[in-house]
Amino acid sequence: MSEQWNKDTPIYLQLYQQVVSRILDGYIKEGEALPSVRNVAAQYQLNPITISKAYQMLQDEEIVEKQRGKGLFVKPGMQDLMLSRERETFLTKQWPSILSQINRLKLSANDLLTNQGENS
Amino acid sequence: MTSLINVSNLTKQYGEKAAVDNVNLSVKAGQILGLVGPNGAGKTTCLQALLGLTDYQGEVDILGYNPKTQRTAMLNDVAYIADVAVLPKWMKVSQALEYMAGVHPNFNQSKAEEFLAKTNISQKSQIKQLSKGMIVQVHLALILAIDAKVLILDEPTLGLDILTRRQFYSHLLEDFYTQEKCIIVTTHQIEEIEHILTDVAFIQSGSIVLCEDTEHIKERFKLVAVNQESIEQAKELKPIFSNSLMGLTTMLFDGVEQESLSSLGNITSPTLADIFVGVMTKEAC
Repeated sequence: MSEQWNKDTPIYLQLYQQVVSRILDGYIKEGEALPSVRNVAAQYQLNPITISKAYQMLQDEEIVEKQRGKGLFVKPGMQDLMLSRERETFLTKQWPSILSQINRLKLSANDLLTNQGENS
Repeated sequence: MTSLINVSNLTKQYGEKAAVDNVNLSVKAGQILGLVGPNGAGKTTCLQALLGLTDYQGEVDILGYNPKTQRTAMLNDVAYIADVAVLPKWMKVSQALEYMAGVHPNFNQSKAEEFLAKTNISQKSQIKQLSKGMIVQVHLALILAIDAKVLILDEPTLGLDILTRRQFYSHLLEDFYTQEKCIIVTTHQIEEIEHILTDVAFIQSGSIVLCEDTEHIKERFKLVAVNQESIEQAKELKPIFSNSLMGLTTMLFDGVEQESLSSLGNITSPTLADIFVGVMTKEAC
C-alpha cells in the first residue's frame, strides 16, 4: 500500500508522527516491534534513508529502543507518555486558535455541545 | 559515505552531435539516484559509458575500476538491467541460472532460486513463454544473486503495468538495497518513484542541468499560486516557469527566500515532476 503524503512536510516527520499516533491509539503496543526499515520501504515505496531518519528520531526521544539484531521495540509506558505529550501539544498549539475562533463566532459551551451530538 | 561512482567530464560524440556533453556525476554508497530526462537526452548513452559498452571521452571510475579497460573485473560487482529484454528467448529459466553460475564468479544460484520460488515463475519455463513482468522478475533474481554493489537500471519498468512496477521496486528495496550499495535508475514514471530516490539528476541535451538530493530540492524549489495584484512583483523574482489558467497564475521559483515569496500568494512544495517540467521548459516569462 502506498501512503498519501503531504507535500509540504518532510516525509520522515510524517512517518514519525504516524508511529506516535499508532502508539497513542494502541495499534502498536508497548513491547511490540516496529516493522523493519526494509519492510516499510517496500510497502510504502520510500527510500530507506527516510525511514531510518524517522526511526532515529523515535530512538533519540527514547520512545523505542534497539534490541541487538532484533530491531526497534516500543518502550513500556509510551502509550501514556504519548497521550500526555499529544494532550500538551493540543492544549498549547491547537486549542488557543480554536478557542479564539469560538470566541469570534460567539459560540457558547451549550452551542458546541449540542452540535457535537448532531454531527456524530 | 564513500563514492562508488565518479564521473568527470564524460563526453560522447556521435559525429557532430554530442549525445553526452561534459557530464560530472558522483554516486555514494546508500544513494538511489534517478537520472531523468526527455527521450534522446543522453540517459542511455550515459549509462552505457558507465558500463563500458561504448567508447567515450572523460574519466569514469566505478568501484575503482575503469569501465573501458577493466570491464570484466568491474562486472563482478556491477549489475545492469536494460530497457530491452536481453535474455535469450529459447533458454529455460533454469538454464539462465546455470549459465550465470558458470560465467559469473559472484553468482549465488540458490539465492536466485529462493527469490524465484516466491514468484509464480517456473524454472522449467522458457523465457519466451514468460510475460514482460515475469522476465523482469527473472532479471531481478539474477541481480539479487550477484549481490552487486552498483546496480544500473535503464527504464526497468518500461511497458509493465502499475502492479508489476510497484512489485519491482518493492523487491528492489526489500531484497537488494543496503546502505553499502548504490542504484542508478532512469524512468519516465518519475512520480511513482519520487519518494524512493535519495538523489535526482535531470539531463537535457546531454548535459546535467540539475543534480540535487531529494530532500534539499524540496527546500530549493517552491510553487506559488500568485495573487493577481502581485504578478508584476513576482516576475521580478524571476520564476523559472509560469502557467496561467482560469485567472490563476502558478509560478515555480528556484532558490528564492521563503520570506520574499510569502507575500505573493500561497506557497506549496512542487513534486519532482513539477520541477522536472519547470526546469526542462524554462520559459522566458
